Amino acid sequence: MDPKDLSRRNFLIRAGATAAAIPTLSAILDACTKPGATISGSSAFQIARPDNPVTLPMNGEPIATDTPIEQGATLEILNWSVYMWKYVLNQFIQQQSGNGIKFSGISTFNNMDEGVQKLQSGKVKADVFFPTIDVLGKLVAADLLQPLNHDLIPALQQDNWAAFQNPYYDQEWRYSVPYTIYTTGIGYRRDIIHDDVIHGMDNPWSILWDPQYKGQIGVYPSYRDVMAIALMKNGITDLNTGQDADLEKVRTDLLAMIDATSPLIAYDAAYNKLPKGKFAAVTAWSGDIVAAWGYNPPYTQSAYQNVGYWFPADRKGPIDNDLIAIPKNAEHPRLAHEFINYWIAFKNAMNNFSWNGYQPPQTKADVNALTHEQGLYSKQSSSWAAPTPYVGPWQPDAAVRESDFPIGYREGPLPADVDDRWHEIWSEFQAGVGQ
Amino acid sequence: MSVSSEAQPVRRRRPRRARAVDERVHYSRWFWPSFTIPATIWLAILFILPLYTVVSIAFGTVDPIFRNALPVYEPWWWSGEQFGRVLHDSFGFYRNVYIHTFEYVIVASAICLVLSYAVAYYVARYGGKRKALLLVLLIAPFFISYLMRMLAWINLLDTNGYVNKVMSFLHLTSHPVDWLGGRPFTVVMGLVYGYIPYMILPLYAFLDRIDPNLLEAGRDLGAGPARTFFRVTLPLSRPGILAALVIVSLPMFGDYYTQNLLSGSPKTTMLGNLIDEAVNSTGQGPKAAVFVLILMILVLIPMLYYMRSTARSLTTR
Repeated sequence: MDPKDLSRRNFLIRAGATAAAIPTLSAILDACTKPGATISGSSAFQIARPDNPVTLPMNGEPIATDTPIEQGATLEILNWSVYMWKYVLNQFIQQQSGNGIKFSGISTFNNMDEGVQKLQSGKVKADVFFPTIDVLGKLVAADLLQPLNHDLIPALQQDNWAAFQNPYYDQEWRYSVPYTIYTTGIGYRRDIIHDDVIHGMDNPWSILWDPQYKGQIGVYPSYRDVMAIALMKNGITDLNTGQDADLEKVRTDLLAMIDATSPLIAYDAAYNKLPKGKFAAVTAWSGDIVAAWGYNPPYTQSAYQNVGYWFPADRKGPIDNDLIAIPKNAEHPRLAHEFINYWIAFKNAMNNFSWNGYQPPQTKADVNALTHEQGLYSKQSSSWAAPTPYVGPWQPDAAVRESDFPIGYREGPLPADVDDRWHEIWSEFQAGVGQ
Repeated sequence: MSVSSEAQPVRRRRPRRARAVDERVHYSRWFWPSFTIPATIWLAILFILPLYTVVSIAFGTVDPIFRNALPVYEPWWWSGEQFGRVLHDSFGFYRNVYIHTFEYVIVASAICLVLSYAVAYYVARYGGKRKALLLVLLIAPFFISYLMRMLAWINLLDTNGYVNKVMSFLHLTSHPVDWLGGRPFTVVMGLVYGYIPYMILPLYAFLDRIDPNLLEAGRDLGAGPARTFFRVTLPLSRPGILAALVIVSLPMFGDYYTQNLLSGSPKTTMLGNLIDEAVNSTGQGPKAAVFVLILMILVLIPMLYYMRSTARSLTTR
């Protein structure tokens, strides 16, 4: 229609329609701002480093000290799979039987993203959650955790190392208590690589690149840990580096590893495949090596002795700890406090350690005695397994000391752009092209 | 509008029985198309919407806190940055992964075809009254989940496993073979083992439907057994072969369990492993979605060939 043909009546109708549409259009355009651009909280999230400690903001107040334990509650736990001994857990439930506390099972996740997603989506209304340090700040920024009442968790100050009374990632331990501590080093078969060989090497990290062990090298499917070892091999101690030169060295080394030793990627490389003789050397968390005896048929001491662990003698290497926290939407927060206090108390923490292999930071535990004291799980297993101490005397490097933390190197959260570059290098390694 | 079949011009002569049925009953214009409505709704909900979500993730973003994939449903906000980067790397260091994937799938599908054809042919032609029993016996191991069967193979193929023990006993090898040490052979065999029943069944269904009179006619005309097979049986079973290949090879392209469990070596990484890794990595959701789209485009090529040859075989009947 030509504009000159527009009748007065038509003009009024269209003008009215336009007037009505403008606010609506404005609302639509307003709603159409780019997704992800307006999510709040991003600026509130600070990246914690040992030299840049973070005090997390308080999202509300902790529960009152006189809050009674929820009667007849069912305790809900969201944790990594195979990361807590149910025997110790059942003892807690028995202890709480007067309050009618029940327990149905642990909800588990296989990686931290999955755990966070379960928490975020509300699929699991957990009373207790076991996060890693790198997501703690994010969880608080997203208002998914509640502050802890220190009066209800006296075991932290009574039994746990002072370093965790005021950790760099959560100053004043507002939201978290430590669960386990571990180092990342090299697990090896002592019958293939003798102790004096690996300890005598100028750079034992490089054993993963030694062609004589081709086809016998295993690495975790964990880009941070494998790349951290490549950094350590190059003498780079910033395990959160975003420097191009550092990352290029890591990239070159990972591709060289493919050519040199044809490594296999396996989540059970250290605790299962190494004791079973599949590998000669692997990337290993100290806790996996300590727990390996339980996967080591025929469960004799001579079989256990085949699994060794190397960590730098000066104790300057990757070190970390995992956490326990209470989700914001926990239905039984008082029970959760009770559980945490129970779980990090000396006796219970050590009993769990005897099964789990991952050491708790306990002041009453003599670290030097761990290599000759027998834990509860080993005592209970006497019908089918040879006795073994908390930590095998042939793998003393796996015991973690409080003095290790100030000098060890931490893996923390990475800025998004740096994280993408780390992933890019890991993808190249995974693609298996080699150099 | 209601129309009788008599009112419509008939180009080809149709079977008398079908015409008789049409002549007696008057169907609404929407009667037969309405049969597709449930499947259409089903597809719309379970295929088109998820596919659009995948596209929205591939061209979307991640949330700034947890870096979870954030689908962007409005195309005007889409960013092709991630797609471009993955596509660029696909011609770079990912190229080997694509090559591996295609190699393994093609070889495994070919082995599946040879093995399955022989089995399906035997059951269809010589199974007699035991056809059903033979099929059940062939498929029985596959009632157990794929993952569990692969886990069983880990024990069997271990250096101390039964496969090596038997080989040593038969003096086939002086040293245990490291089957699980990142060998492409093991991955291909795993794929064959995992997917072979899905090939046997459609092949059997096609071979069983071949009219024995056609084979007899071939013989009567002087063709030997081999000639009859290559001139009659094989051409008649071609649609079945194509259907079985499609059924088996498509899931193989996205498979990641087999490589994870039986190899774990970066040298045998398949496209499915890259998707799995990206899905489970912080901030890499869009990359996973891009891989899914690329894989879809790649498998569309054999699918289109299948559709074209199926359409052609229908028109030549």
